[in-house]
Formats: sequence, C-alpha cells, structure tokens
Amino acid sequence: MTGGAKQGGAAFPVLIAALLGALALSASTGPVPISPRAAFDAVFRGTDDTPARVLLSLRLPRALLGALVGGALASSGVAFQALLRNPLADPYILGVSGGAAVGALTVALFLSADATPLLPLCAFGGAALSALAVFLLARRRSGVSPERLILMGVVVGAFLNAVIMLMVTLAPPGKIPGALYWLMGDLGLGTPRRVAVLFPYVALGTVLLYLLSRGLDLLLLGDHAAFQAGLSVERVKTATYLTASLLAGSVVAVSGLIGFVGLIVPHGARVLVGSGHRRLLPAAFLLGGAFLVLSDTLARAASPAGELPVGAVTALAGAPFFLYLLRRNGGRS
Amino acid sequence: MGRVRTAVARTVLAGVLPVLLLASAIGRPAFGADRFPLALKDDRGVTVRLADPPRRVVSLAPSLTEIVFLLGRDGSLVGVTRFCNVPPAASGLPKIGGVSDPDVERIVALSPDLVLCTTDGNPRDKVRALEEVGIPCFAVSPQDLEAVFAAIERLGVLLGAADRGRAEAGALRRRARLARPSARDPETPAALFVVSTAPIIAAGEGTFMDELVRLAGGRNAAARFSGRYPRLSVEELVAARPDVIFVAGMAGVERFPPEVTRWKEVPAFRDGAVITLDGDLVTRPGPRLVTALERVSAALADWRASRPGAPPAGAGGER
Repeated sequence: MTGGAKQGGAAFPVLIAALLGALALSASTGPVPISPRAAFDAVFRGTDDTPARVLLSLRLPRALLGALVGGALASSGVAFQALLRNPLADPYILGVSGGAAVGALTVALFLSADATPLLPLCAFGGAALSALAVFLLARRRSGVSPERLILMGVVVGAFLNAVIMLMVTLAPPGKIPGALYWLMGDLGLGTPRRVAVLFPYVALGTVLLYLLSRGLDLLLLGDHAAFQAGLSVERVKTATYLTASLLAGSVVAVSGLIGFVGLIVPHGARVLVGSGHRRLLPAAFLLGGAFLVLSDTLARAASPAGELPVGAVTALAGAPFFLYLLRRNGGRS
Repeated sequence: MGRVRTAVARTVLAGVLPVLLLASAIGRPAFGADRFPLALKDDRGVTVRLADPPRRVVSLAPSLTEIVFLLGRDGSLVGVTRFCNVPPAASGLPKIGGVSDPDVERIVALSPDLVLCTTDGNPRDKVRALEEVGIPCFAVSPQDLEAVFAAIERLGVLLGAADRGRAEAGALRRRARLARPSARDPETPAALFVVSTAPIIAAGEGTFMDELVRLAGGRNAAARFSGRYPRLSVEELVAARPDVIFVAGMAGVERFPPEVTRWKEVPAFRDGAVITLDGDLVTRPGPRLVTALERVSAALADWRASRPGAPPAGAGGER
C-alpha cells in the first residue's frame, strides 16, 4: 500500500492527461472531416458551419457524456465494493440495472415514439425504486448487512430480469432494436441537453462519495472495527448506498447498461493509487472516464458495420487490458 | 415522359391482365395435376416428393402465405403464422405461432401434407422436427427480386398451379421492368433506407431494400458500410448526405426525432424528402416487393423532377 501511495503521486497527472487525451481523440474521430483549424474556429470564434456544428453538438457532448458516465460508474463501483466488502460488486449488483431497464423499456416499447424524452426519467425512477426496495427488504432492526443486501439484490434483480425478458418478448418487433441497443449500453444519445441533465447528478454523487471516503476506509475493516473507530456505521452505509445508487441510476438513464466499467476500473485504479478512498475515488473517476471515452471512440471508428454498442466494446477491449494491469501487479490490490 | 408511359402501361396491364389470366385458367385442367407425382428440389437442396397436389398446406412465413393466395391456392391453406395479415383473408386462418417460433405440435395436429418454410427466419430444428414426423417441408429463400419471381413459379408447380405461377411471375416481371427509370434519367440520387429511426438502422448491401433503391435508379447511401443492417450515428447520416430517405415503417419507428431532422445538411431533411413505406412491403420477399419498387421508383422520379434544371413534369419528351 505504501508502494501504491508512492506511485499515486505520479498517477494523477497521468490520469488527467489520459482523460484529456481521450476526449481530444474522441472529438477528432468521425466520418465528417474536421481540420484542426476548423475545430479551433468552432470553439473560439463561434463559426457556424457543418464541421463546427458536428463538433459542438455531436462529438463533444458525446465525449463529455462518456467521461461523466465512465467516471460515475467507476466511482459507484468503488463505493459498492467497499459497502459490500466484495471485490465482485459493481453498480448493477443490487438490482439498479434491472429497475432502470424496466423503467426505460416501458417507455421505449409500449409508449409512443413521442414519449422518448421521458425515457431517462423513467429509467431513473425505476432504478431508484428498485434500489430503495432492495434496501428496505435487506434492512433489519440490527442494521443492514452486506450479505442480506447482496441476497436481496440478486433476488430482486432476477425478478426484474424476468420482467425484462417478458417485455422484450411482447414488444412490437419494430421497437426491439432500440431496446436491445439500450440494454447493451449506448452513448449515441449524447446531446448537449443530456450532458447538462446528467452533470448535476454526477457532480453531487461524486462529491458526496468523496466526503464519505474516510467512512469507506473504515467500513473495509468490518462493521465492528469501524464502530470502534468512532464511525456511525449505519449512517455511512445508508448514505453510501443511496449515493452510489443515485450515481448508477442517473447514468443508466442516459446511457443504458454499460457493463465492466463499474466492476473492473476500481481494481485498476487500486493498482495505480492504492486502496485509500480519498485517492481511489478520484483516480477511479478519471480512469473510468478515460476508459469509456476511448472505448466509445473505438466503437465508432473500428467497425465497418456502423456503430457498435459501447457496452460490447468495454469488455472486449477492456478485459485484456485490465488482466494485464492486475497480473503485472501481482494482485496487490 | 417515362412516368406517363409507365402510368399508361399500368392502366392497360391492370385492365387486360385479369382477362388474360382468366382465359388461361379456363382453358386448362384446374391444378395442373398432370405434373404429379412430382419431385422438386428446394433451396436447401432437399428433394420434396408429392404424389398429388397438396390439399392441406401450412405456411411458416407471411411472404409464403401471400404467394399461396396469389397462386389461387388459398383454399388449401390450413395454417399460417400470426404475422400473416395480407391479404386480409389470411388473418382469419388458424395460427401456428410466429415465424421464429412456430408451434411444431400445433402444425402436426393440422395434419398438413406440405409445409412451406423459409431458411431466413424459420428455425432449422423445428423444420427438421416436422420432417421427422413425415411432413414434407419445402424451403425457399429468395435473396433478390428475380429469385422471388422464380420462387412464385416453383411454388406454382409444387401446389399444382404451375400455369398460374408462370403467369403471375411474368406479370410481376413486367411491372418491375416498367417501374425502372429509363436510360434518359441519368441522375442517381443517394437514397437511404432505414428500418429504424432511433437508433438509425439502415438497410445495407444484400437486402431487398438495397436492391429496390438500385433498381429504381438510386444509389444506396449506406452501401459503404459492411453488414446488412448497419447502425448509423447522426454524424454518419450527416456525412452520407442522402437526397431521399425511405423509412420502412414498423410500429412506432416512422418518425425521426427532432434532434436528427434538424440537420439540414442532409438534403432529404432540408427538402422534406422523407418517405414512409409500410415495413411489410419492403421486408417480405413476396409479390408486393414490386409495389414497393414502384413506390421507390416514383419517389426518386419526383426527386429528379424537383431538381433545378429538370424539365417540368410531363414535358420531358423534348429532352
């Protein structure tokens, strides 16, 4: 861990550079040719031609959305892994994904196309409801135990998965592709408005989690030890649970179910900066953001068959990279 | 002038053809029963043998149901899929499930002497299960318009309506020929066929929609993508700049969202050249593909007529 901390000194400039580099690469990749000159004019002189509009209303919003989503998923993953004391926890483990999917699919499949703006709202509502249900089901007078949370989360998740399958089976065939892309994770909906809508949730969530860092460090020691160290364990757990669910739910609402980021990026970040949450949370945010933006750039550029859903790319490209990262460090995280 | 000629020809055909068909039907034995017993190879390479013209036929695809009706053999249909809605009378027939989920037991219970199926859509193992209980299954999988016409002829033979099949296929071939633009229409608009508007999923090479666009004298704006149904980002749509966009409308996906249509860089959005066609019309490899071709062709002709410098409609003869 001391090694991790020492590494961490150099890690942050590198991570920030990685995120900025990923954003720049993403903004310069696409089928409409945009010269550096045109990009400069678009940003600083406010030109209004096709390249400028493509850059400002399609590419940059999409890149920023990727950074926010990736960062939020990774932060949420860090929080769930600490809360449940389980390295396999991710933002979706407690049924948030299933609730969001049911909410989103209700709009996408069974309401008219004009109701599409409602989709993020319903996805978020579904996520919040299922997160709350899991929490209330798992709570006992003695408090919330990680085991009960996971158990309830898995049961609620399985139930919601069955509902999802039923909905997709009964859906009008013309609406199924959209629903499937959403289920696989998709940043194609990146509009300036979506970014603006998501930003406050992500900002609030990450700041709240950061304020909980010390509590999360102590939670890793076990409830008893944390209590003895003077932590109001139940309060920290409840706050962590709700904040991490808020992050995951708001992100799922705008980008669908993007797997892998929330599960693996926290481990990668631990390799880089150690497991103290005050450093781990920002590092995971930066790494998650950079990683998702790069994955999305790949999803857009690499496929000759049109766009791939980014959720397919995150695991495909990410798994080997993170395996390398984890093996090289001998599982020190 | 091309369009005027087409219209005249269509009217003549519509009036005369039924008379001709009726005459030919009266002059011959009812079902062409003289060809039986019969052995015919299907598109899987399986040889299907029938001793007599089939009397109880189950169709596992809407396109096949349409063809059976076209051949006048709908009296033999005892089962269709729940998607078989054309002609309207097909909706009243007993349902055997869907295209991808036909109910084998229900089909067997109808004791058909022939099942018509397709290799694009019907699960192979269900078809095999039917064959194992001794029901002959004839599979067709036409990949282009001409193959659809050929399939109509072959199904005509199989169903004991060979002459009717030949006549109908011939009539469709003529209509398809008339729908194509004349050599004097040199401009090839970039046309994009989408099967979904959000996300934007286009019809690429190897689809009937791609063929329709090319036959109608356009070029497919999605041809540079590989894969039959590439998904396009808004930016790719802007870069492709289609002059005309066809939407193969299925439930609820007819309209593009406003954040897509506001890209006036796309000529089709700027000029309002977005045309919705019934999704069934362009995705079912049946006789109505010709109707689809006529619609696509007419839309591209409209586009040519609206070009600056284009001769006013009806005065094209001087060019």
